[in-house]
Amino acid sequence: MVDARLHRRSLACLLALLANGAASAATQGTLGGTSSGSVVINASVPNRIELTGLTDVSLLNQDPTVDALSAQNVCVWSNTNTKGYYVTATGSGTASAFTLSNGATIVPYNVEWAGSSGQSAGTPLVTATALHGLISTATNPTCVAGPSSSASLVVKIPSPNLQAMQPATTYTGTLTLVVAPE
Amino acid sequence: MGPLSLEGSEVLRHRRTLAPGRVLSKCGLRLLLALAGILPAGIADGASNKVRVSDLSDIAFGPIGNLGTDAIRSESLCLYANTDTNGYNITATGIGPGGSFVLTSGVQPLPFEVAWSSSAGQNSGTPVAPNIPLAGQVSTAANQSCNSGPAITASLVVILRAAALSNATAGTYTGTLTLVVGPE
Repeated sequence: MVDARLHRRSLACLLALLANGAASAATQGTLGGTSSGSVVINASVPNRIELTGLTDVSLLNQDPTVDALSAQNVCVWSNTNTKGYYVTATGSGTASAFTLSNGATIVPYNVEWAGSSGQSAGTPLVTATALHGLISTATNPTCVAGPSSSASLVVKIPSPNLQAMQPATTYTGTLTLVVAPE
Repeated sequence: MGPLSLEGSEVLRHRRTLAPGRVLSKCGLRLLLALAGILPAGIADGASNKVRVSDLSDIAFGPIGNLGTDAIRSESLCLYANTDTNGYNITATGIGPGGSFVLTSGVQPLPFEVAWSSSAGQNSGTPVAPNIPLAGQVSTAANQSCNSGPAITASLVVILRAAALSNATAGTYTGTLTLVVGPE
């Protein structure tokens, strides 16, 4: 009978514990010349990424016999264990194509990405297709500390495309970049 | 007579409420209570400088979505001190080197800051440095477990700075903060 009562009490304690979730690990002090207690602190940091340092690309008055190229250093910060990320680019043309337009005609351009700064060439990007396996060296979300940039964005208009453009008119488009941690 | 529990500060507080002409000296009161058999041992020998910290709870920040702002959690607790002034000091230590305040996720540390307020319900307080007593605190607790008078008398504040959060690798971080209270 006593055993049955003990079992019931143990079961009640177990159910109470489960109902309250995980047991507290905090310890309480006792009355004395000194008294000590402790608390356990928990926090979690989710995967986060940030892309900054982008500047508009201006390729004006280009010599149509040579490729026009603009490379810029940007800051990509990723807080995953590996600092890994992927990038996806889309243009403002039909089906997100990388094209510029002057309102009457369009001209395609190329986009390349390098996982380090200071590059004038990188891996060609296909619109709306992620480029995986990139690693950031940034130690700060906006690169205000540590490396001041961590990747390179390259925009290129090949010479044949330049030659197809109407002279003395300005072509405009928007390139959108999305980075995600991995 | 059944068991009677009477704490030191309660005894002294009762003494303070007597009319001036009827005030018993502290020694006289102790002698009277000792003769009546109801004086706690700690009072009888004059060693009444006792403190207690209780009602501590674990602190869960949970997932911190915005790493660009400070994350702050505070809790109110019972801090009792039965010195003449109800004064106390508090020393906090973490699990980092030299008792520094850090949470860890494997080998990755996430530093945090600690602040203390000698009143309940506060979200800020006086910064506490690891292993260095914060002196000059005064408790309003009426008894050691705060089950009469104020239910809580102090605030513990833990701060995860945005700078630390934005430099932290994604993951779950855990640490322990130990508080030691002394009378003064």
